[in-house]
Amino acid sequence: MRSPKTDLAYGAPLPPLLAKELAEILSGRALWTMLLLICPLIGFSFVEAVSLYSEASAAALQSPAAAATLSPLDGILVPTFGSFYVAVTLLFPFVAIRVLGQEKESGALRLLVQLPYRSSTLILVKLAAILAAWAAASIPVLSTLVIWALLGGHLGASETANLLFGHSLYGLLVGAISLFAATISDSSATAAIVALATTIGSWVLDFTVAGRSGLSTWVAQLSLTQTLHSFEQGLLSLGLVVGIVGVIGGLAALSTVWLPPGIPMRVKFARSVACAMLTIVALGIATQIRTSVDVTEDRRNSFAPSDQKLLATLRLPLVITVNLAPEDPRYIDLRRNVLGKLERAMPNISIALAGSRQDQAGKSDAYGEIEYVYGGRSDVSRSTSPREILPLLYALAGTQPPAPMPGAEYPGYPLVANADVTLIWFFCGLPLLIALAWWRSHLPPAVKSPKLEGGQP
Amino acid sequence: MELLRVVDLAKHYGEEAAIAGVTFSAAPGEVLGIVGPNGAGKTTLLEATAGLVGTDSGDVFWLGEALPPSRRKAAMFYLPDGVKPYQERFTIEVLTFFGSVYRRSAADVASAIASLELQPVLRKRVSALSKGYNRRLLLAIGLLTPHRVLLMDEPFDGFDLRQTRNIVEVMRKAAGGGRTFILAIHQLADAERVCDRFILLAGGQVRGIGSLHELRTQTGIPDGSLEEIFLALT
Repeated sequence: MRSPKTDLAYGAPLPPLLAKELAEILSGRALWTMLLLICPLIGFSFVEAVSLYSEASAAALQSPAAAATLSPLDGILVPTFGSFYVAVTLLFPFVAIRVLGQEKESGALRLLVQLPYRSSTLILVKLAAILAAWAAASIPVLSTLVIWALLGGHLGASETANLLFGHSLYGLLVGAISLFAATISDSSATAAIVALATTIGSWVLDFTVAGRSGLSTWVAQLSLTQTLHSFEQGLLSLGLVVGIVGVIGGLAALSTVWLPPGIPMRVKFARSVACAMLTIVALGIATQIRTSVDVTEDRRNSFAPSDQKLLATLRLPLVITVNLAPEDPRYIDLRRNVLGKLERAMPNISIALAGSRQDQAGKSDAYGEIEYVYGGRSDVSRSTSPREILPLLYALAGTQPPAPMPGAEYPGYPLVANADVTLIWFFCGLPLLIALAWWRSHLPPAVKSPKLEGGQP
Repeated sequence: MELLRVVDLAKHYGEEAAIAGVTFSAAPGEVLGIVGPNGAGKTTLLEATAGLVGTDSGDVFWLGEALPPSRRKAAMFYLPDGVKPYQERFTIEVLTFFGSVYRRSAADVASAIASLELQPVLRKRVSALSKGYNRRLLLAIGLLTPHRVLLMDEPFDGFDLRQTRNIVEVMRKAAGGGRTFILAIHQLADAERVCDRFILLAGGQVRGIGSLHELRTQTGIPDGSLEEIFLALT
């Protein structure tokens, strides 16, 4: 065979590369520093959350109705993971950038790209290392789950797993942004500026466009913070997952395009445009996927089971026209209490917003009305409560409201506990263990073979 | 037999030509020196040959077949100058990594370590290595790669005379096994010591190619050193 061997181009084993990437992250200071910094942050958030939850529980212990409003997802998990979200937004880019930034700065990238791996393989392995780094960084927040359970608190398996899944996707998204920033930047410092401009820029975007309509609403949906909202509400949205995975894939593809040197700029730009187009298509597909699962124990994103069952049998198209501006609190209520639940319960539903408040206010008194059309019959309501809207829909469908199913009530999980003592774990115990692991990871490796040490081949 | 042929390679940075119309070839087991002063275009020529820098024109042929940039890493391996690879890692880890990637046995890794006398620094971090040991580490990485052609930028930089002679011996042994070395060297004495043939490069252009004997004939300086020949041609 005249050509050079193809296995010298792409045929190398993956484990050494993965081990190298993991060792690169562990040998740097960024991950360990992040771990040490987030311990007190997460510990303080957790103790505060337990304290507030206990106060609410103390009052609710006497009243089953009040107890039913107490969910550990809202009271403990979301606030505690919220502090982890802040840490991932602000600190994780520095960890993720390291997987490439160090090689760029030392010149080792020119060795890396000559190894017998495809550029896409190099990027995917680096993303895998970033995910592993996120998993390591989540140890403090995972320890809060153990402590909560030890305190006697309740953890719903599906809603906890869903929240963890959402945060892992967010971590990977921040990692993919950082990796792409490192790919296009000459130095780690520049890459950090690019990555932080994106992550912190999302916060600015949220504040700037909050309460606005039209294009601003669409722009606000591009904010990274949007990725976690559904998961925090206990929803597993397939469209959202596809969208986030699509963006991560797009960023990975862009990193693959920009990683290898020696390719003309115009070729890189042309390939980047193709990647961007494919990512936009993936996002477009994601917006059309309505499938989502309510994973909460209290079924807050669903109607009562009897209603869910009956609504699923209403096969004709239901058309809802909402004469409210998207930023109107009534629309936000309607969206949360009725429309979102109807979209998940009914097979054929379309919702139209009639326009903004400015459009509506001067023209008619119709602002605030919501029109429901089903099977050629229609009705209008101004209510945002399912107690009024569901009977209206059943009347349009010509069916009787279902009888409530017994035993489906959410009991709530009140707990009066004091977690102050756990601060010792977050301020002393865990940081000590992290420092110990850091020191251990920096010890020179044992040279196993006497041949190596003695130099006798 | 001609293993590698580079034809009319050119690369501009803006208006300035880093290399212009460079053509040369290399045979199996040959040590070919690209010789020239700083800024002559030696590094650009090596990187362009390895496909790590885009070129304006020119082709590379492997055993007579065109070899596009995307496939050159299957044929040759380039060791850049001034690289401290994986500074936070230990020397033994870096060597083991490259050995594992290329499925080299422990004996092969041990052989590379012994050849370059790296035993004293195996448990040292790369960041703590002296310039000479770092250069030896790079050479060991090169020896662990299975490529038939190794391109090296300033391989003797940082070595004293005795060390240079040792490294020359290592290279000569590898070349004796059929490996081709293409070295960019600015120290003419080092080049004369190790290379079979020379490409004299100045201002990005080839001023002469051949063995010392051929260059002497070309310049009409029968007993001239490489330095004298280089000065005569540039």
